[in-house]
Amino acid sequence: MLRTVINKLVGSVAAIFGASIISFVFLRVLPGNPARLIVGPLAPASSLLSVEKQMGLDQPVIVQYGRYMTSFLRGDWGFSYGAGVPVTTEMASRLPASLELGFYAFLLAFVAAVICALLATYRYRPVTDGVVRGTAFFGLSVPPFWFGLLALLLFFATWGILPGPEGRLSTSTTPPPSITHFYTIDALLHGQLSTFVDAVRHLILPAITLGLAPFSYLVRLLRANLLDVSREPFIIVVRSKGIGRFLAFARHALPNAFLPTLTAAGLVLAQLLSGSVLVEKVFNWPGVGALVTDSILRQDNAIVQTFILLSATAYVVVNLVVDILYGVIDPRVRIS
Amino acid sequence: MKASVHAPPEATVLIRRRRVRPTRWATVRHATQFVLGDRALAPATLLLLALVVLAIFGPLVWSKDSLGIDIGNTLQAPTVTHPMGTDGVGRDILARFIGGARISLLTGLVVVLAGATLGSAIGVMAGYYGRWVDAVLMRIMDAILAFPPLILAMAVTVGLGVGVTTAAIGITLTSVPFYARLLRSEVVRLRTLPFVEAASALGATQRRIILRHIVPHLSSTLLVQAASVFGYAVLSLAALGFVGLGAQVPTPEWGSMITDGMQYTLTGQWWIGVFPGLGLLVAVTATSLISDRLRDILDPRGQARG
Amino acid sequence: MNTPVEQPTSDDAVLRVQHMRTEFVGDQGVVAAVRDVGMTVNRAEKVGIVGESGSGKSALALSILGLIEPPGRIVSGSVWLNGRDIPFRDDREMRRIRGKEISLIFQDPMSSLDPVKNIGDQIIEGIVWHQQGVSRRQARKQAVELLQDVEIPNAERRLHDYPHQYSGGMRQRIMIAIALANEPSVIIADEPTTALDVLTQAQVLDVLQRLVTERQVAVILITHNLGIVAEFCDKVQVMYAGRFVEQSMVDEIFYRPTHPYTEALLESVPRPDRLERGILPSIPGSPPNLARLPAGCSFEPRCSVGHGKQICKEQVPVSLTVGSPMRPVVAECHFARERFEHSAQHVEGAPV
Repeated sequence: MLRTVINKLVGSVAAIFGASIISFVFLRVLPGNPARLIVGPLAPASSLLSVEKQMGLDQPVIVQYGRYMTSFLRGDWGFSYGAGVPVTTEMASRLPASLELGFYAFLLAFVAAVICALLATYRYRPVTDGVVRGTAFFGLSVPPFWFGLLALLLFFATWGILPGPEGRLSTSTTPPPSITHFYTIDALLHGQLSTFVDAVRHLILPAITLGLAPFSYLVRLLRANLLDVSREPFIIVVRSKGIGRFLAFARHALPNAFLPTLTAAGLVLAQLLSGSVLVEKVFNWPGVGALVTDSILRQDNAIVQTFILLSATAYVVVNLVVDILYGVIDPRVRIS
Repeated sequence: MKASVHAPPEATVLIRRRRVRPTRWATVRHATQFVLGDRALAPATLLLLALVVLAIFGPLVWSKDSLGIDIGNTLQAPTVTHPMGTDGVGRDILARFIGGARISLLTGLVVVLAGATLGSAIGVMAGYYGRWVDAVLMRIMDAILAFPPLILAMAVTVGLGVGVTTAAIGITLTSVPFYARLLRSEVVRLRTLPFVEAASALGATQRRIILRHIVPHLSSTLLVQAASVFGYAVLSLAALGFVGLGAQVPTPEWGSMITDGMQYTLTGQWWIGVFPGLGLLVAVTATSLISDRLRDILDPRGQARG
Repeated sequence: MNTPVEQPTSDDAVLRVQHMRTEFVGDQGVVAAVRDVGMTVNRAEKVGIVGESGSGKSALALSILGLIEPPGRIVSGSVWLNGRDIPFRDDREMRRIRGKEISLIFQDPMSSLDPVKNIGDQIIEGIVWHQQGVSRRQARKQAVELLQDVEIPNAERRLHDYPHQYSGGMRQRIMIAIALANEPSVIIADEPTTALDVLTQAQVLDVLQRLVTERQVAVILITHNLGIVAEFCDKVQVMYAGRFVEQSMVDEIFYRPTHPYTEALLESVPRPDRLERGILPSIPGSPPNLARLPAGCSFEPRCSVGHGKQICKEQVPVSLTVGSPMRPVVAECHFARERFEHSAQHVEGAPV
């Protein structure tokens, strides 16, 4: 057990190391001279040189890599010239919005995926199964930003049921006092029911749009796993003890089908991370994703770089945690 | 019981005919018959073909300029003269749609070819030579896989400068590990099979063994993978275009066309953003249907998963 | 229909199956896996069902338990168990009967136990379900006793172990323990020893044999291994294409098979005396496509006796009962009587 954990840790560290080199090459070495970006194209050579020296660009590449990594690990992520504040500040102010959206998107995707996978497999229902599979297929093929746009076109512009792309709350609603920074939870904590409803209404379309891809992915996986497991002889054996179909499903098929699904957590996170960049802009959601899209257009590279690095880090960490967790939960891995 | 639904009688026909050394034309004919007889493959292939035909021959039939600004005819709803309407500066959306199809499909093709070549070379080398070659190559693949794919593609375009070419490079890079890992495990499996060991006992050179005895066995695996990467490439290119890292204005690219259409959609001019998205949806759905179906047919083990 | 072999001790019957017909809907249309089949099992009797794979043995077992899943369905049939007809097609009602009066030991011990639940929980599950008012602690005690009964050492401690920590033979004995948990009167054992090596097979059969004697439980043993049948069973039913083509006492079948299919099955068993002659006969052809059965006898295309004969091609054979009332043989063959009488003249001098 300890040996596998150490093996996985070593593997992950190697992967992170490799990833940091890739990001160093693409974000620092290849884009040309970052000093030139800072001083501007018209600055004289002398000031360029002094900035270069100040940034350590005259040092060997290895030293530069070392500095690059230490400053990243220290949380010193540079200065956003577009926003005029350090990247850390800008990111921190945008993070809660993204977290709230991501949380609900995931919750929605997960719950819906479990329900749909159960509906499709619990009994032999070819039609339901076909609909679920079709939806999942659509969800993985549709560009999320376009889906969001379509949703706005129908639910806001055409039918006027849900609010348009105006962020987390209506302009007339003041945000609730911050405790968790989740507007929905904060509003409830302060008993501001109308604010809560407003926040929820603003969350519906973005959360569905962002959750569509993870939902589709999870439902495909769960459905396939459930089908596989429900064909296993041990399900028939459980039923032959007299246990009803529902209990056999709940106690035996579900845990067996869920275990492998856990390994998909990394991929779901990747979908949420890249999805936030694609979806937030459509709904003018004031989160990190929209910040990144804006920064790309403003060529505010510090923000984009930081986002890329943080995403990769989160992705690796989640994958590692899942790997280890899997070993703890699955008795076959746990004991051998 | 359900698995058998996936094995159409046509499949056996195809295999049986192949044994009697058909002419090339006969093979094509049987493959066509097979595809057309399949409930999922037929519509998907026809849809994709329609897009390809549109991309290749569209400009010959529809002569409007995808970049031609016409200030007098901005934001026209779809009519006979502009079947998909016009955009904010009066450009014909259909012409831009066709241009977008060209860019998307061509990029998809290039990404698939480049990624498959690079990825299979790496995978075959790692699997065949083993030892440190394997270790080094696979660590590099692990490093690439440490990024969420689209995020790495973003990093590449940030580093190399925005544009369709760099976006394609970025997407290709992220697709390489898929092939490499798959082919490596296939090669490792095949290498121990009797017929490869026999060839090597007979004194065949390594290069010969790889090219003549291992690579042919990988073609079906490669085909399935390539088909699913095609859809991924088209979707990613559009995503990069949408956030401004791919094609730049005024290039008619579906992703950036959707960005352009965003501001008009909510004021009623839906056609600017909706049509390019439909194109994407059709292209990606068709290719993923094809890749799923191919996987079912070529890999009997995967059938039960549906 | 197949007439069940009427035994002189037929008041002793615990299970009687009649007119069982089970169909599956596939892409070739409707396939009848079990075609109007009947059988009787007496108290503490060991009945073997033999046949090639795909002959409908497992489908019959699952039909009796009412565990056929769509797209399969039980078209007709009745199951009489412990003195009454049971509603074997009503899933809700069957929950009270399955595992209590009739239980199942399933083919592959690798996949017949839930890999992520420990053995104790899997045994207790059935006990707690059927025995009202039993506390988990009492159920645990019962589980330990059951494990001891099937000769698992350190039963108390091993309750917490997971299936993969047991050997194949042990897992199969655990399956037996689970099946026995509520003292059923009938156990259906579907290929219980197929995945095991010969020594382990013998051990598992020994355990089963002892429990039959001790607890007077009837066993229906489904297998394609004739050696196991000869060793373990009292009575044999030979299944072909969803029908019982021959039913008789075990020694009867081994000494003088009446149905040509039974004979062919026996001849394809490898045995030292035949191996010396260097050939292992096999049955020509393959099991029939159940979706497209021949118009006449379903074995006709492969039969050494009836192949090409008009009557076999055109008429479905009815069950003929031959032999003495004490040792009846029921066979579905147009030539059953001749074959039985012919072999009767030879049987004295030539035991197999």
